[in-house]
Amino acid sequence: MAQNQRPKTLLDSLGEEIIRILVPVSICMFLVVLLVSILDSNSSASVTSIAAMAYSETSSDSSWDKFLGALLNSLAFVAVVTVVTFILVLLFYLRCTKFLKIYMAFSSFVVLGFMGGEIALFLIENFSVPIDCITFLVLLFNFAVVGVLAVFMSKMAILVTQGYLILIGMLVAYWFTLLPEWTTWVLLVAMALYDLAAVLLPVGPLRLLVELAMSRDEDIPALVYEARPVIHHDSGLGDNTVQRRVWRARSNFRQDSEDNSNLNGNVVSDSNSTVGTVQSSHNGTRIARVEEEQVSERDAELSAPLIDHGRNAQDGMSAERLMLEGMGLGSSGAIKLGLGDFIFYSVLVGRAAMYDFMTVYACYLAIVAGLGITLMLLAFYQKALPALPVSIALGVLFYFLTRFLLDVFIVQCSLNLVMF
Amino acid sequence: MEASQALTNPTPNPNPNPNPNPNNNYASNRNSILSSTPVWPTIDGPLGLSEDESLSYARRFYKFGYALLPWLWAVNCFYFWPVLRHSRSFPSLRPYVVGSAVGFTVFSAILCSWALTFAIGGEHLFGSIWDQLVMYNVADRLGLTGWS
Repeated sequence: MAQNQRPKTLLDSLGEEIIRILVPVSICMFLVVLLVSILDSNSSASVTSIAAMAYSETSSDSSWDKFLGALLNSLAFVAVVTVVTFILVLLFYLRCTKFLKIYMAFSSFVVLGFMGGEIALFLIENFSVPIDCITFLVLLFNFAVVGVLAVFMSKMAILVTQGYLILIGMLVAYWFTLLPEWTTWVLLVAMALYDLAAVLLPVGPLRLLVELAMSRDEDIPALVYEARPVIHHDSGLGDNTVQRRVWRARSNFRQDSEDNSNLNGNVVSDSNSTVGTVQSSHNGTRIARVEEEQVSERDAELSAPLIDHGRNAQDGMSAERLMLEGMGLGSSGAIKLGLGDFIFYSVLVGRAAMYDFMTVYACYLAIVAGLGITLMLLAFYQKALPALPVSIALGVLFYFLTRFLLDVFIVQCSLNLVMF
Repeated sequence: MEASQALTNPTPNPNPNPNPNPNNNYASNRNSILSSTPVWPTIDGPLGLSEDESLSYARRFYKFGYALLPWLWAVNCFYFWPVLRHSRSFPSLRPYVVGSAVGFTVFSAILCSWALTFAIGGEHLFGSIWDQLVMYNVADRLGLTGWS
């Protein structure tokens, strides 16, 4: 076929990148729905956790009491998250990055080891798998240690790192679905509002964190999912050219400050060092990258028609901000999504699965639509954006509409043999 | 149409897809006239490590795997798959990756045989100790699934 490469269409370039962020989100949601429907926990096994400390819901309370209790729980949880995020900002400001990394490695070990082990135990008891404790311990130990290594400590295959991030998101999301029902819904709305405030307000902790990281040109230690960058091989420029898209103007992106148990990891620095590695080690490789204050070596072959106007203006453009619990663009141009977003999307869908599969489909479509809208806004505004509000708003809206309107309609139609 | 055009020239322009090995194929095609040595030792291709850095990583993963971590050996083999596949490439890395592969095979053989003996043998083979070792009883005894 012809060697000269026509510029890729919107479908090829943008579509590929969107797919690379949609697929892991969908996989995480699917796994959580699977777990929820298999394990089928009854409501009496409620979780005494930090998210339900103010009020534990019993089925005998009136609706108003439940709502008030849920509101109290959510406010307490959001307060805890705010405090922890401010502590994170403080620690980052005081340059305690070593401590942060160790803390996050420890917390992800706890998540993978203890939560993963517990869910594995649930599954073993459910299916009566005749595994003995020695094998189980060896497998769990392997799983947890390699997970911590993959996410924080060292570079590893991109697939392995991404897989472990999805698993961490799935485990935390499943744990959150064990909360009482009203608390879960109010908590989702509260977290969406918190995300909006923390990212966009100038006093918000996440925005402060991002600005600190950018002013120092460092990476925020955070748990971030970074999609594999789309590499376009332009045959006209030689074999070793790796061109990346310019609309990721920044070399620093950070993500996700999350709830207290899941902070930060340095996937961002991995991608940075990856880019650096590729640049330094291979002579013919030219990578287009626009840095904040100066024009870096750029060769950009811009193939993003959305940002067409920005091709030359990006040089001096102020950096794009990346948001924790939000999305942004990685140093290699890939889209990054904080792990908190994965978790809360999956919590919403998992909770919808506890009612019926119809709500699952409706909420999944709503969340994907919200994510698409957020991506478009990201491309438009070129700054870090919170990824939770739009999707959660659409998801919650669709859940309640489906549950109270569509469900009744479908059930009645089926019962009267009008439509199946 | 653009989309189909992109699909019809795979060789000079491998589609950026989630396939973990696009760049290895690309490099192999490029070098097919010479030897088929890949340029990048890792499975991520140009997104992964260079050869110099890979040495320390391969060595570290190999040594850490001795701490009862066969899965780390497996991940090591996966990560440096081009080293395993092309037998004459990267001579400095090869002993570690091959060692990891051997270690993983041996350890998993032992573990699988033990687990299968335990599962299939059951009470007939072990007697009452089977009930003490099997995981769901251990979990019940220690109350592991009761917390949180």
